Amino acid sequence: MAGVQKSLLKKVCLAACGGGLAVAMSVSTAHANEWPTGDVRLVVPYAPGGTTDVLSRRVADLLQDELDANVVVENRPGAGSTVATGRLARGGRDAAHTILMASPGHTIGAAIYPDLDYDPVEDFVFLQNLIDIPNVMVVPASSPYDSVEEFVEAAREQNMTFSHSGVGSSIHMSGELFKTLTETNLTAVPFAGSGAALPALLGGDVDVSFENMPTVLSHIRSGDLKALAVTSAERSEHLPDVPTLVEVGDYNLDQFVTTAWFGLIAHESFSEEAQEAMRTALDAVMQREEFVSFADQLGAEPGQVAGEEFKQFIAQEVERWQEVAEQAGISQ
Amino acid sequence: MDMFSEVLHLFLSLDNFLAIALGVVIGVVVGSIPGLTATMAVALALPFTFTMEPVAAILLLVGIYKGGMYGGSITAILIRTPGSPASACTLLDGYPMAQQGHAKKALKTALYSSVIADFISNIALIFFAAYLAKIALNFGAPEFFWLICFSLTIIISLASGSMIKGLLAALMGILLSLVGLDEVYGSQRLTFGNYNLMDSISFIPLLIGLFAIPEIIEFYRKKALPHLKAKASGVGMTLAELKRCLKSIIRGSLIGVIIGAIPGTGATAAAFISYSDARRRSPNRDNFGKGEVEGVAAAEAGNNGVAGATMIPLLSLGIPGDVITAIILGAFMVHGLTPGPIMFQENLTLIYALFVGIMFSSLVLLVVGNGAIKYFSLIADIPKSILFPIVLMFCVYGAYAVNNDTFDVWLMLGFGVLGYIFNRAAIPAAPFLIGFILGPMFEDNLRRSLLIGHNDLAIFVRGPITWFFIALTLGSILLAIYRYVAARRQSVSASATQESP
Repeated sequence: MAGVQKSLLKKVCLAACGGGLAVAMSVSTAHANEWPTGDVRLVVPYAPGGTTDVLSRRVADLLQDELDANVVVENRPGAGSTVATGRLARGGRDAAHTILMASPGHTIGAAIYPDLDYDPVEDFVFLQNLIDIPNVMVVPASSPYDSVEEFVEAAREQNMTFSHSGVGSSIHMSGELFKTLTETNLTAVPFAGSGAALPALLGGDVDVSFENMPTVLSHIRSGDLKALAVTSAERSEHLPDVPTLVEVGDYNLDQFVTTAWFGLIAHESFSEEAQEAMRTALDAVMQREEFVSFADQLGAEPGQVAGEEFKQFIAQEVERWQEVAEQAGISQ
Repeated sequence: MDMFSEVLHLFLSLDNFLAIALGVVIGVVVGSIPGLTATMAVALALPFTFTMEPVAAILLLVGIYKGGMYGGSITAILIRTPGSPASACTLLDGYPMAQQGHAKKALKTALYSSVIADFISNIALIFFAAYLAKIALNFGAPEFFWLICFSLTIIISLASGSMIKGLLAALMGILLSLVGLDEVYGSQRLTFGNYNLMDSISFIPLLIGLFAIPEIIEFYRKKALPHLKAKASGVGMTLAELKRCLKSIIRGSLIGVIIGAIPGTGATAAAFISYSDARRRSPNRDNFGKGEVEGVAAAEAGNNGVAGATMIPLLSLGIPGDVITAIILGAFMVHGLTPGPIMFQENLTLIYALFVGIMFSSLVLLVVGNGAIKYFSLIADIPKSILFPIVLMFCVYGAYAVNNDTFDVWLMLGFGVLGYIFNRAAIPAAPFLIGFILGPMFEDNLRRSLLIGHNDLAIFVRGPITWFFIALTLGSILLAIYRYVAARRQSVSASATQESP
């Protein structure tokens, strides 16, 4: 019986190894072709289901038509977005076909995670900033404050709290930046995601938040939350009556422009020819009706920068968040 | 009447029926494969719904969600590998049942309690959404803190056998749950500089390692398991058993509904809370963990009770309580719909059509589940010498699939060794899991409450909900002490009568 079992085990193992080999071979042939004829891998540095994932799948769909190649989405979550980004930075055989959907985690991650083994600016080429989602400074409907000025004056007198969706999120860092610039007594209250953070804001447990626009738009419209300002450089089409923080001007807020940006990056070795092809394709994608309406539903504006400008933007962001993280005492 | 016909018009289309059926089938299959979760399936299905009608699109995703919630229990029962985190609790009694030759009974019990809980959850969604949403909004960090305290007293009731070993296991669970990024200051805790540990230890590799691997080691060590009676041809759940479990199922469903309505808790916690509640009340208390039908029923009722109820904060407040509802929120928005109070004014017929579809999905789950059991329970008949290498392959694949990372495979194998040591030393795994799941929730809500209350302890007794859970916590501890003392007294008097000539 034992002998039968052993030989059976051997067979099963052999079959498993054979299967593995076959899969490995099929993968390697798929990647043997040169850009842009082979498959393109779009790495999402977060788990399925988030904004980054949904956006990436939409873009992959459209990019597929424009490039006339398969665009395969691959989720590689971990440590903010730094696990996937670090892997891309190391390059390797697939780097020539791989693009990654970067977001504020790319710059904030560089500020708050210690000992990253890559340079968030120099190790990559920056293809195209696709969309920008503004954050909105919101207070509960029951809040006595109707303007940024009133809020700042009050928060200088007394302790106040702001909710955020997790350490290092753009919502968190916006709050910390606001606190630093306005010299107010704000305490960060962390939650596991915006879904968990919202009830605390709606119920008045926290005083303010700098939430992403799509998360709070319906609550602003229904009157459950009051929007005091938007964080983008220009007013948002979705909330035309709400001023920007820059417009407020006082309390150093003229420097406060921050959005949740999303854009595609690649390894520094990404060839000129490939960059060119990608940019043309992405330009076309951004013109597509499907993309425009999708961005609109997210409350997003189309991205402004590409290439060298995009790179400069990233460099400035990294520097800014490093300062904010340092002042806020967030781990370095 | 006009409204009624409009709703029917919206709902009664072949697309909707197909969407629900397809969704439930995908959910059951994906849910039953370790490492592939309903969350992934919903995320992957989302792009396909862009071109569908809104009702069909949402129903497809809801179907996957519900099917996945049940599907996870299939492999948990048959091969001790939970297909999804929420079914970890089901295997505590489900797998022993399968080993005793009652695989089919366990699967049927899981299915029937899932369907009943799902149905109750849907009723709650349809009739009490507004009311439950209000409770959810009043459920802040301090209220959460006390709910978790109450749930932690579960460990007392789950520590079968030795209390010391139970507490030891729970503390180990809590210790491991501390690994990762500190939620408030962002500092790294116990990561040893390893980036893979930065987001905390992944739950699925832990589950697979802890439960599936020790069975495989045990098999190859002894070349045979002492209990090889598993047969697919056994009987299903009898009516008498269903009657006996009904109270636990209903109570578990209600626990699931409340937990589902509060954003951010999740089905796994609900399953464990329901399970221990059932155990505390059951006359068959001592049989829990050894193959008790009521244990399977309570666990499955708990996690499926969550499914309908998570739609409550989503539809009535526009707040997604977990990742799946966040994706469903995305699907709504792609179709130009924004869940929340406004949708109840502007798209009422659509909401009612969804409600009809969601009710219908419970029925589909029953049919699909029954079909699945027919084929899946054949797994119980496969000789272990053939089955276990395949299970091992699935373990490796499942651990890898979570983050597409080999690190998780090593983690899974490490937990396999730990699980084996647990088995040998008779340390119960359930308190370990509870510690791992609830530990972080306890810490986060404690710190969150203190931050919100500016370090004033008064926030912990701020309202009726906190008082209610404080009373429950104290009551639960007192009951445990009373039972412990009573049991001691009984054994002392029993030994006294034995000694007296």
